Amino acid sequence: MSAENVAALEARGLSRLYRRGSEEIRALDGVSLQIKRGEFVSFMGPSGSGKTTLVNLLGCLDNPSSGELHLAGRAIFGSGKNLDERALTRIRRELFGYVFQNFHLVPTLTVRENVALPLAFYRKPGTEGEVERLLGLLGMAHRMNHLPGQISGGEMQRVCIARALVNRPEILLADEPTGNLDSKRSVEIGEVLQELNREAGLTIVMVTHNPSLGRLGGRMIEIRDGKAYES
Amino acid sequence: MISRFQIAYKNLLRKKARTLLTLVGIMLSSWVLVSLLGFNRGYEQALNRDIDNMGYQLMVMAKGCPYEAATMMLQGGAGLRYIEPSMVAEIAGREEVEKITPILMQAFFDPDKGDGGGIAGYYGVEAASYPAMKPFLRFHQGGWFQGEEAGEAVMGYEAAELEQRVVGDMIMVPEKNVPLKVVGILERTGTQDDGTIFVPLKTLQKIAAIDKITTIGIKTRKDADSQKLETALYQLPDVQVVSFSQVKQTIMKLIATARVMVLSIAIIAILIAMVGVVNTVLMSVLERMQEIGILKTMGAMPGDIFFLVWCETLILCASGGVAGIGLALVFSRLSDLLVRRILPYAPGGELVDIDLKLALLTLAVVVVVGLLSGIYPAWKAGRVRPLESIRSEG
Amino acid sequence: MTSAANGKPAPFSGRFVIGTVLLLLLHLEALPAPAAVNCELNYPSRDVARLFPGSTGFKTSYFSFGQRGGAPLLRKVEARLGGAPALYAPLDVPYTLYEIYQGDKKIGYIHGVNQKGQFGVIESFVSLDLKGTIKAFYIQRIAGQWARKFTSPQFGRQFLELGLKDFQRYDTVSGKGTGKVAAIGNPAPEAATDFYGLLRAVKKNLVLMDEFVYSAEGGRQ
Repeated sequence: MSAENVAALEARGLSRLYRRGSEEIRALDGVSLQIKRGEFVSFMGPSGSGKTTLVNLLGCLDNPSSGELHLAGRAIFGSGKNLDERALTRIRRELFGYVFQNFHLVPTLTVRENVALPLAFYRKPGTEGEVERLLGLLGMAHRMNHLPGQISGGEMQRVCIARALVNRPEILLADEPTGNLDSKRSVEIGEVLQELNREAGLTIVMVTHNPSLGRLGGRMIEIRDGKAYES
Repeated sequence: MISRFQIAYKNLLRKKARTLLTLVGIMLSSWVLVSLLGFNRGYEQALNRDIDNMGYQLMVMAKGCPYEAATMMLQGGAGLRYIEPSMVAEIAGREEVEKITPILMQAFFDPDKGDGGGIAGYYGVEAASYPAMKPFLRFHQGGWFQGEEAGEAVMGYEAAELEQRVVGDMIMVPEKNVPLKVVGILERTGTQDDGTIFVPLKTLQKIAAIDKITTIGIKTRKDADSQKLETALYQLPDVQVVSFSQVKQTIMKLIATARVMVLSIAIIAILIAMVGVVNTVLMSVLERMQEIGILKTMGAMPGDIFFLVWCETLILCASGGVAGIGLALVFSRLSDLLVRRILPYAPGGELVDIDLKLALLTLAVVVVVGLLSGIYPAWKAGRVRPLESIRSEG
Repeated sequence: MTSAANGKPAPFSGRFVIGTVLLLLLHLEALPAPAAVNCELNYPSRDVARLFPGSTGFKTSYFSFGQRGGAPLLRKVEARLGGAPALYAPLDVPYTLYEIYQGDKKIGYIHGVNQKGQFGVIESFVSLDLKGTIKAFYIQRIAGQWARKFTSPQFGRQFLELGLKDFQRYDTVSGKGTGKVAAIGNPAPEAATDFYGLLRAVKKNLVLMDEFVYSAEGGRQ
């Protein structure tokens, strides 16, 4: 198997159980899937379907109850042992960039400083100049010295995307990225993500319940009652 | 590029009012602490200075004798006890003695002073040895008497002012009706000397018709064992020995309780301010749970988050501490006045003495206590799990 | 006090008491006593009753050159006194004035001045009625072996019923003049300095009262 064909992400039989008193809830039930490099995958489904749980596992934000996960050929989950916070953080910062529904930009830092924030904690080699490059790429170069309070919602999400990409992650994980935006801005962000995927070959895993947004990537996976259904 | 320190600093700017109030709390408690530490030192130094100004460090006098003119006057001049002048030579021979001077305190009844009469107190001193004991005594007018038996007097500033005397005027020793010429008037000293009339020893002895003295003032050599001297002097018959170092120790003991109490208050002030700091930082952590979670998704380790929050505490304490110390220096005059109001008696000179070392010590205390108190919020922030905090978005 | 074995009082305990008292006394900061320049009665309640029989109460008030006219007024008063000696008083030191009452009615004043005497300061007081006539004369303080002669009632009596007009006919600087003041006898010729000093003191007293009290009230003596 050539390097290009190594799956960016492979999950086998991922399950997540929660205990509520004596009750056992299966949020995720034996999900297996593969995501290749450069793919743009959307996970869709109603609330409580388990899509967020799945994406949390795929994004190494949580440990599964059972199952395996391989990222870029590397085994992450499956040895039977739970990884602690530090180990998860190390994996996350190597491989992932995250974009969330709520922007969480630091209000007292400028746009440029917000994008550079991850570099204060961890810096991959080769990321010099990434801040300016990404801001330019995302059309936010002219807002570099503005504060978050001075830009629009759509612009804030662009900044978040830039921030997520500053350490050159393998995979961009976006959880309801347009949840707090109006339809016009949502379309804009959708286009931004599409362009990143097409031009830069960025692997994108997105959670959304917006069908038009979900269709952008070309691959949609529906999650229902903890199981995955490819459409 | 942005550093973790800058992030911490800018976080504090998010809620300016809250940060400011916390700073004010630390500032005030630092001000109190450094002023009190400065006072602790300043008081002792000022006391030392005052005692040095006495000239002599030991006084020998007859047992039961009221050795101060004021007490003498309060008691109506009765109960004066004497010691033999020969004792002076005896003591002067000792190796620990650098300077020695005999003094005769005498009181006379003045029927025309006040209603029904009052007491006038005089100090008989040796022109040869007394001024040498107090070389820093300055004269407003004139100087010391020329002869050991001259009919002259040197007046303290207040005594001269009260009687409207200048150099060249006469005064009359009441009861004996002996006139004396004023040859010198001292500058104000702020001590009892201001109200004293000094007369040559032999003159006073002649006026009072006694050949004895009441006090011997002794100045010890710098490296002498004054304890040994005191013990030896105590062996002399019918005398009591007053040592100013003992007196100083007594005063310091009296003050010690007050100092402990006052230092405790300062420490409590610091602790209260720290509670404010912990509250502020903890509140800001709780408000930023989601954000901290997101920082962890960006690659921040628990240690990084701990450092960030701890940094905020450090910045608050350091800034507040520096501001408080700065204020204390600027307002040291004011603190001095306040302290004088509170104390029953205070030596002259600067009472609140703050130097660089003290300032740094105070800053260190404030910062260390702050960092210790900041451990909990920082630890709590470090433990945040991104999943839980982000999930709470819904 | 505890005793050591040899019978002598243990050094520390004795020193404790003595030392404390000593330093307490040493540190009585000698406060500038305004009474040094200002002249006040030592026991006002007792003195007022004695110097103004018939009074039921008094009020203490203060006046100073600084309040009323400053340096020009000071020079004017000095001129009225014959130029010398200068008033031993800076502009802002207050003079004490005792206003005497019978019930609600003011019946007179008591006022004192300091004067330099031969052997010390002389503090003398006069009681005045509302017209400025001397009703009583009192020397609170005087030094010297002839002091008795001046504090005696016989001497003091000579001042009763005198007013400023009488002093204006007598030059206290040269000691020459006419009228009742010239008739006042010196009981102690050896203490001439103090005798003339007393006359100057009384004149000074009356002039000050005139300037500050009687003129202010509209009626000249």
